[in-house]
Amino acid sequence: MLTFVVRRLLLAVPVLLGVVFVVMLTIDLLPGDAVTLMLGEHATKDAVAALREHLGLDKPFAARYVDYVGRLVRGDLGRSIQQNRPVAVELADAWPATLELTVAALLIAAAVGIVAGIVSAVWPNSVFDAIARLASLFGLSMPIFWTGLVLIVVFSLWLNWLPVGGAGSLSHLVLPAVTLALPSVAMVSRMTRSAVLDVLGEDYVRTARAKGVGEAWVLGKHALRNAFIPILTLLGLQSGQLMGGAVLTETVFAWPGLGRLMVKAIFARDYVLLQGAVLVFALAFVVINLLVDLSYGLLDPRVGRQG
Amino acid sequence: MTAWARFCRNRLALLGLVLVVVLALSAALAPWLAPLDPARQSLIEKRTRPGAKYLLGADEFGRDILSRVIYGSRVALLVGVLSMLIALVGGLLLGTLAGFIGGWLDAVLMRGVEILLAFPYLLLALAIVAMLGPGVLNTTIAVGIWGVPAVTRIVRGSVLALREAEYVGAARALGSPGAAVLRRHILPNIIPGLIVYATLFMANAILLEAALSFLGLGVQPPTASWGLMVSTGRDVLLVAPHVATVPGLAIMLAVLAFNLVGDGLRDALDPRLRGG
Amino acid sequence: MRSSSSRLLLGLLVLGLVAAIVPWADAQKRGGTLTIVRPTDPVSLDPNLETTAPGAWVYFNMLEGLLTLDDKMQVKPALATSYEVMSPTRVRFKLRPGVRFHDGTPFNAAAVKFTFDRALRGTPPARWASLAGSLDGAEVVDDLTVDVVTKEPYGPILRTLAMYCMGMVSPTAVQKMGADFSRAPVGTGPFKFVEWKTNTHVIIERNPDYWGDKALVDRVIFKVVPEEGARMIALQTGDADMVLFPSPAQLPALRKDPKFTVHETTGIRVVFAGLHAGMPPLDDVRVRQALLHAVDRKAILDNIMEGSAGPARGVLAPGVFGYKDMQLDRLYPFDRAKAKALLAQAGWTPGPDGMLHKGGQRLSLSWVAARGRYPKDGEITEAIQAMFKDVGIEARVQVLEWAAVFQQLRGNPLNHHMFTVGWVTSNADADYSLYALFHSKQVPPTGWNTSRYANARVDALVEQARRSLNQTEREKLYGEVQDIIAKEMVWIPIYTTKEIIATRGTVKGFQIHPVEYNLALWKTWLDR
Repeated sequence: MLTFVVRRLLLAVPVLLGVVFVVMLTIDLLPGDAVTLMLGEHATKDAVAALREHLGLDKPFAARYVDYVGRLVRGDLGRSIQQNRPVAVELADAWPATLELTVAALLIAAAVGIVAGIVSAVWPNSVFDAIARLASLFGLSMPIFWTGLVLIVVFSLWLNWLPVGGAGSLSHLVLPAVTLALPSVAMVSRMTRSAVLDVLGEDYVRTARAKGVGEAWVLGKHALRNAFIPILTLLGLQSGQLMGGAVLTETVFAWPGLGRLMVKAIFARDYVLLQGAVLVFALAFVVINLLVDLSYGLLDPRVGRQG
Repeated sequence: MTAWARFCRNRLALLGLVLVVVLALSAALAPWLAPLDPARQSLIEKRTRPGAKYLLGADEFGRDILSRVIYGSRVALLVGVLSMLIALVGGLLLGTLAGFIGGWLDAVLMRGVEILLAFPYLLLALAIVAMLGPGVLNTTIAVGIWGVPAVTRIVRGSVLALREAEYVGAARALGSPGAAVLRRHILPNIIPGLIVYATLFMANAILLEAALSFLGLGVQPPTASWGLMVSTGRDVLLVAPHVATVPGLAIMLAVLAFNLVGDGLRDALDPRLRGG
Repeated sequence: MRSSSSRLLLGLLVLGLVAAIVPWADAQKRGGTLTIVRPTDPVSLDPNLETTAPGAWVYFNMLEGLLTLDDKMQVKPALATSYEVMSPTRVRFKLRPGVRFHDGTPFNAAAVKFTFDRALRGTPPARWASLAGSLDGAEVVDDLTVDVVTKEPYGPILRTLAMYCMGMVSPTAVQKMGADFSRAPVGTGPFKFVEWKTNTHVIIERNPDYWGDKALVDRVIFKVVPEEGARMIALQTGDADMVLFPSPAQLPALRKDPKFTVHETTGIRVVFAGLHAGMPPLDDVRVRQALLHAVDRKAILDNIMEGSAGPARGVLAPGVFGYKDMQLDRLYPFDRAKAKALLAQAGWTPGPDGMLHKGGQRLSLSWVAARGRYPKDGEITEAIQAMFKDVGIEARVQVLEWAAVFQQLRGNPLNHHMFTVGWVTSNADADYSLYALFHSKQVPPTGWNTSRYANARVDALVEQARRSLNQTEREKLYGEVQDIIAKEMVWIPIYTTKEIIATRGTVKGFQIHPVEYNLALWKTWLDR
């Protein structure tokens, strides 16, 4: 098990190096563009050159890459251009809020999605199934930034039950987390429904049923266990999408996380900060996938031994 | 039973198709359908409630929301279709390369595809737009790039499967060039899968464009974009909720339409793909 | 006669008694946290690096200067108790004894000298150095006596020292903290710094050792909420006690609702669309004049500002010493035909696409603007963009974070034709604005002549007015300056601010100030 973890962690290193490489290369492939955007479109050549030098963009790409990775190893992500603070500090301030929001949304998505999916699968084509499927279609089709606004009007303004934005207490978390979770609830419930339906159609389940084993036992022992792996994979994927959606949710609800920081960095043309934010997202993404793989190992010991 | 007949039995899918046709007509006929110039401001008529002159009301500059929603469908479809083409062309290219050549190229490409597929797409699009700068074209590129990996995987899978198939081997043995093999044997086989993917991609492309514009990083004012309209309507949410609500509904209906059609197509074209 | 005057006296006495009793009836309460929502995060909390409102709102409560401006715009003592004019270039101040900075450092003449040296002789000099005119520094006379020295006779010196950004800083803290001082300043004020979380909030708390009346609330939280709608909802739901830049559209309802209080006063800021007079085609005065004719300022005022701002009659606000009505509505009425005619004279004629062309070039202006820095700045920019289009001018607007816009405006060269900004005459003396904004030598980074306006006559007049100590003469000179600028407009003035702050009804004792930056919170208390 330990070797599995270590191997997977080592595999993550080239992925992160690759992300850094791609981000830096993208900036590089567009000569002067980042700098021109910062200085305005009529910027003189001298001003552009001076800023490039200041940002270290005048050095060859390989040198900058090695330099950045070298500083990265020491935990130095550079200084934010706009705020003139270490990027590492800015990111450290912001990421707990995003983590809180995404985890809350993931829990909601898992709980509501799995339950709805199972109920739909156990009573397929029932009224509940029809409603759940229709609801999931809407869940997938509604833009979450708009859903968020609608929820604000209803729950903050009309009913005055929940705060409109900002962070601080559990009540601040409810609306953003629900908003963020909605598309994932839809995905998870769809996936759970079909996975459980598949398993319920398998021979051994039918055999178990024929033997007179209770329906609850069939569901618990066979169906859920086997349906769990695809569901877990989906949850892993969804947590990635949730981080993306967090950008929108954080903007709508003034939630002080990484996503909002990233949008601000883009508007302020703060490429050093942006690079750091992308890196943190990538790291989080790698860790989530590792966790998903690890839980496979726990649920199905064969995976661990093979890996 | 033909795929079309199967599709037609699905009432939700038909509803989706009707909505897609309405959307396409509204985009194509925008100048004739829109009652007013979408950019025309009439400050004195700001935030007019829906009524006789402004059927869906007016926004904070006194612009006709209905006309802007109609013109907004152009932006949504334009970005959707163009980015879909980028995704298809890029994916076909990379997928056939990976499938035919194989070896380390295949390994590298597929590892990259795996990473990109799982990476939060909004972040990717944001990063791209941040580098390129905002605007319709750059938004399209950002959305298009996001679709490439999935298409690559679909294409590569079919290429691998068909490479093993006997008739392709026979065609090659008879001296057909690779391109001909691709056109005659591989494309026809992957088209159903690609059509389904492309339809569902349209839904997500519209969502993504709206999201980027909502953040102020996509389509720029004064161009009418649904996401941008929701964004500006947010400032007057309390006094004039219709300004944000109407374009939000438009986004939802358009996305719903493509999702319904995509689901319907999947069920009709390839029942095996069901449930994924 | 006698009886009536004594009756008057009695009446006044009664009135005075009532006035004295009313505050008693509404007894002040101590404690609580005041939550303020505002659109943008500060650039810095150090006046040396930040002279704009997002930072000033916060540091004005932590740092105090020698003098201050009261809400009637009169100069009042703060850290100085009295002053005496020694010569045309030297003013002697007696300092308040027994005052300590938040870190325990005693406040004295050396601290005054340190603050001015740091600002005026530092590299680079403080952002406000260019606003302080001929201020040259301070000389220590004894521990509690200091001489403020100017390079030449300088009319507006007292008003200058009373500006919001002239706060004294703790020498020990500056030396110990280095660059970090700009994020956690140490002054003598009624509040002291607690925490700044970038893009989220700044927290300050009551200074228990304050020399004067201590602040009434325990803490103040300044939250960043960029969206106007979200700020207003926060006020309605009670998440926020005070909204800076409330939504004009909602003010009528708020004024009627006893749950809220709308604080208003005439401001001294002019918000305008600036024109870069050094960049073709805006170097042609006819093109600039055409732009003024193309903009329907009244429509913007009525429908976008909706009564929350007054008309801009010139480059100065009416409350400022030296202000002259520039008669903009007479000189530049909204007239599209006139605009097109002027542009035609300058060689710009309609092309096949309906837009104006000259020599194969489209009349296209690049424009940098923020959204949410000034009330309705983004909306105004978009409205003018549409009005320009109506006469065939394309405006390419780039919306950036305020910090990024600010950086571009402070930089040289400026790479945009236009910019949406506001300017407040912080010390209410025309010198402050006409010198820094229109003198040809005041191009950034030295001063604030972002328009690159250059007129030798204006240069001479503002220099002469600055040296003069005769206020009547100064007023006449400033009048002439404004007459010249009116003919060569390098701004499209849009509105004069009304300072408006909306609070919940539970917020008491708050006094709004005509200078937006002077957000004094130490007399504010919470009734809950």
